[in-house]
Amino acid sequence: MSRHAAHVSRTGLVIIGLILLLAGGAVLARGLNASSSVLGHSDAPLLTHSQATYPTQHGWVWPVVAAVAAVIALLALWWMAAQTSTKTVRRLPLEPDRIQGTTVLRAGAATGAITDELESYPSIRAADATLQGSSRTPDLRLSVTAENRADPATARARIETEALPNLRTALERDTIPTVLRMQFSRAFDRHLT
Amino acid sequence: MSDTASHPGDTSVLPAGGGSPRPARADAWSLSGPRRKARRVFRPRRTIPGVIVAAVLAAAAILGAIWAVTAALGHPLFKVSHRDFAGPVQSTTHWSSTGPLAGAAAAAFIGLVLILIAVIPGRPRAVTLASGDESVVVGVPRRSLRRSLAWLAEDVPGIDSAKVRARRRSVRVRATTRLRDPAGLSENVRAVVQDRLAALDPLWPLQVKVRLRRKEG
Repeated sequence: MSRHAAHVSRTGLVIIGLILLLAGGAVLARGLNASSSVLGHSDAPLLTHSQATYPTQHGWVWPVVAAVAAVIALLALWWMAAQTSTKTVRRLPLEPDRIQGTTVLRAGAATGAITDELESYPSIRAADATLQGSSRTPDLRLSVTAENRADPATARARIETEALPNLRTALERDTIPTVLRMQFSRAFDRHLT
Repeated sequence: MSDTASHPGDTSVLPAGGGSPRPARADAWSLSGPRRKARRVFRPRRTIPGVIVAAVLAAAAILGAIWAVTAALGHPLFKVSHRDFAGPVQSTTHWSSTGPLAGAAAAAFIGLVLILIAVIPGRPRAVTLASGDESVVVGVPRRSLRRSLAWLAEDVPGIDSAKVRARRRSVRVRATTRLRDPAGLSENVRAVVQDRLAALDPLWPLQVKVRLRRKEG
């Protein structure tokens, strides 16, 4: 399943959290004089005179700081982009055999076909489908809004035995990992009863 | 967290009698691997805290880079005067001063919170349903399930209004009625809700609890 974004978010949060926790803990330990032999005395000044004047006497300090900050900024921006991108598949290669030539299907045609089919079911009011992940082995995200008074088991059975196999046939794939989200609405109550 | 399906007195596991054909549960669903995978799909992704932290980090790093570049060129953007830097700060601020201690404590606390956000799995946002196909994960968003069951309960004759809360292992219906003699009413509501749950066929059985209140008027 496409849980890539969740892993990216959680791993990054652990890394940043660990850095903050360890750095804060180290300063706290020194300030509270937890281990003066390792970290130094707690009543020592935060900045010594030589530390404060170091950058003005060494020309390489500011360029290095700038470069490190730029790298961190780029990493943070990449992390942000990796969390927000959904990686929707736009084109699907159908015939993997290169000698025969390649056939490419627009992903919108496939998802449009399955949503049209689903919306033609009497108990389904709206459907939405996207293909995500790699174009060779795409994941299907299917969202279906069913009429509340209709039997959801019937709708599900039709989705699982008709709509999804049809899509598999169309895309020439044995399995398509699918996440189906079922929602309910009662806007059409009067028309059905 | 055991996923055993049998609770004494739990009737919602049985499918509603007769009716529609439905794909049989594949054997794979009794294995813990596919079930855990299915549940993980609907776990919160922590994208919002992740994006916030990334944005703060990026902004701070960009500001720092600009500052360092201007300092390297000899015109620092925000000038920290040498006397401030090497004078008062140096002589009066020690490692054990309040400032460094408070800052360090705040940083450590934020770090701990971020780690907890990342590590705690979080409550799934959807109730996972049994699926006949191992490659298909089906779920009903908790909010949609609550609304759907409440509408069904409100359709029961005699019920005025209903609210539903979906917990991990149970569904609680709080319904109100204007009837003077609500005998059997809560059983009707329970039957309707249980029928719907049986038709949905959740992976973990949900117990139905109904509380009926009489409303004057």
